[in-house]
Amino acid sequence: MASQPIKPSLAGNASQSQRTSQPGLRYPSNGKTIYHRPLNRSRTQELSQASFAYLFGEMVSYAQKRVTGIQDLEKRLNVQGHPIGLKLLDLLLYREPPRTQNRPLNIIALLQFITTILWRHLFSRPADALEKSSNPDTPDEYMISDNDPLVNQYISVPKEMNQLNCAAFVAGIVEGVCDGAGFPARVTAHSVGKGEEGELWPGKTVFLVKFQQEVVEREAYLPKN
Amino acid sequence: MVNFNEERVVYALIIINKAGGLIYQRDFAEGLNKLNINDYLVLAGTFHGVHAITTRLHPLHPPPPPSSERPDPPSGIEVLETENFRLQCFSTLTGTKFLLFTEPQQPNVDKVMGKIYELYGDYVMKNPFYQLEMPVRCEGWERRLVGYLRVLNSR
Amino acid sequence: MRIGPPAKLGSCTSLVNSLLVPPSSLVYRAGELSLLQTRKMVVYSFYIFDRHTECIYSRLWARQDRPISSSAASNRPISTSSTASGGNTLVPDLGPARARPARLSAQDDAKLIFGTIFSLRNMVRKLGGPDDSFISFRTGQYKLHYYETPTSIKFVMLTDTQTLNMRNVLHQIYVNLYVEFVVKNPLSPVEHPGGEGVANELFELALDQFVKGVL
Repeated sequence: MASQPIKPSLAGNASQSQRTSQPGLRYPSNGKTIYHRPLNRSRTQELSQASFAYLFGEMVSYAQKRVTGIQDLEKRLNVQGHPIGLKLLDLLLYREPPRTQNRPLNIIALLQFITTILWRHLFSRPADALEKSSNPDTPDEYMISDNDPLVNQYISVPKEMNQLNCAAFVAGIVEGVCDGAGFPARVTAHSVGKGEEGELWPGKTVFLVKFQQEVVEREAYLPKN
Repeated sequence: MVNFNEERVVYALIIINKAGGLIYQRDFAEGLNKLNINDYLVLAGTFHGVHAITTRLHPLHPPPPPSSERPDPPSGIEVLETENFRLQCFSTLTGTKFLLFTEPQQPNVDKVMGKIYELYGDYVMKNPFYQLEMPVRCEGWERRLVGYLRVLNSR
Repeated sequence: MRIGPPAKLGSCTSLVNSLLVPPSSLVYRAGELSLLQTRKMVVYSFYIFDRHTECIYSRLWARQDRPISSSAASNRPISTSSTASGGNTLVPDLGPARARPARLSAQDDAKLIFGTIFSLRNMVRKLGGPDDSFISFRTGQYKLHYYETPTSIKFVMLTDTQTLNMRNVLHQIYVNLYVEFVVKNPLSPVEHPGGEGVANELFELALDQFVKGVL
């Protein structure tokens, strides 16, 4: 688990003097790296949206290099988000009060964790909707809606790529959380801000969470509470 | 000369890149003649040249700069007034020029220009699909710019 | 300051028209007029272009460190270096400043100015309609005022940036000075190749007085 390092380690002491003699990007002059900070310290800290927008813009540009198509591009964005989801699951559970620090054990609990705690941590607000697919053929599909994804705030997708939704990155994060919690799933982002709803929320995005078969089967064995 | 029915109107916006190329043109209200795209391109290039010349027309010797500080570079045209419209030019530090055409009596053009620059900074420059110095085709920018000026013009 | 009040303009022009009065007393009266103004305005230069695009008259007035009107120097908030010229009271202190700065030749400057106004005039007509004409533009350093007569004679004046609309002033210069002293002058040619016939004594003197009086 991601908690304080238990042993600051003997090796750490040995290299301490060396670190202090060479302060830099990696080792600040006081010898405390980012890993020495309490995990809860940055809990309420906020990040400039502009700096995130520039960073994310470069991430998209980077992912756009040498891709074969829009699917490929979305896949790359998804892959960029996946490890973040894995780590966030640990971090966010750690920050929960001790009584509720358990990882979600069923699909609904997991999705609620995602739409409230994860969304609040990332975007300072919960997701706008969580629905189960009404199609009986696809009981393994759930939909998380976000009316105005923060990552897409400044992005205008060119007409020739109108299938693309850069929130695939967020889909990757969600997928990472699901995988980390033991609910392997495929998560994809879809723009639905067309039609009559598009007037109000032109950037509306639905994250389609499709759990793998064994997850749904396992769910069936769990006692209903 | 002054049309009192439409006293506060922003007519049009033109953006010229640092090489003098037209990268954005849009009308927001009736008032200026419509030109074809070629004429707008010529107009942008002409203005770019004239702007450069006007930085050098100052008839005086600039006072010798104090060695400690660097003087502001001379600015080109900032405001142009005609009988039918007023043209405000804002040149960014990187050489992009925003030309805002308004009704002659339009107040607070500086503020409007500031807001437009802000929208440009947000929805054009932060858009990963925008290529620098190329024509601006960003749906988010378009939507917010038109929305902002529609409210402004209908006030 | 405002150029507006017709009474003042009237007095300026009547003053100019009464040119038979000896110059020294004129300067005194101009100084008196300028006392009425609360803020200093600076006219840098003045150009006339004929319909053949030729510069037929140009005039450069003050440098920044020496305000135009030395007669009222002691009464106005001006830069300290002007005290040097404070000694030449009552004499138009315009001669030395006419020497061009070495930066560009006077001809080059006039050509650049003509190119600028010509381009802008065409641009304005394209956008604002054939009856539109541009009045002035301002940069961070100066302001250029423009007036074109129906006969395509173009009057251009460069002033400091604070100056308000000078189109009336340019119109007055055309009507009361150019027409009076150049067009009506029997010795002046109809066309003015190389500025011939424009820079006559009466016109120049009257222009000096007029510009001072307006300020």
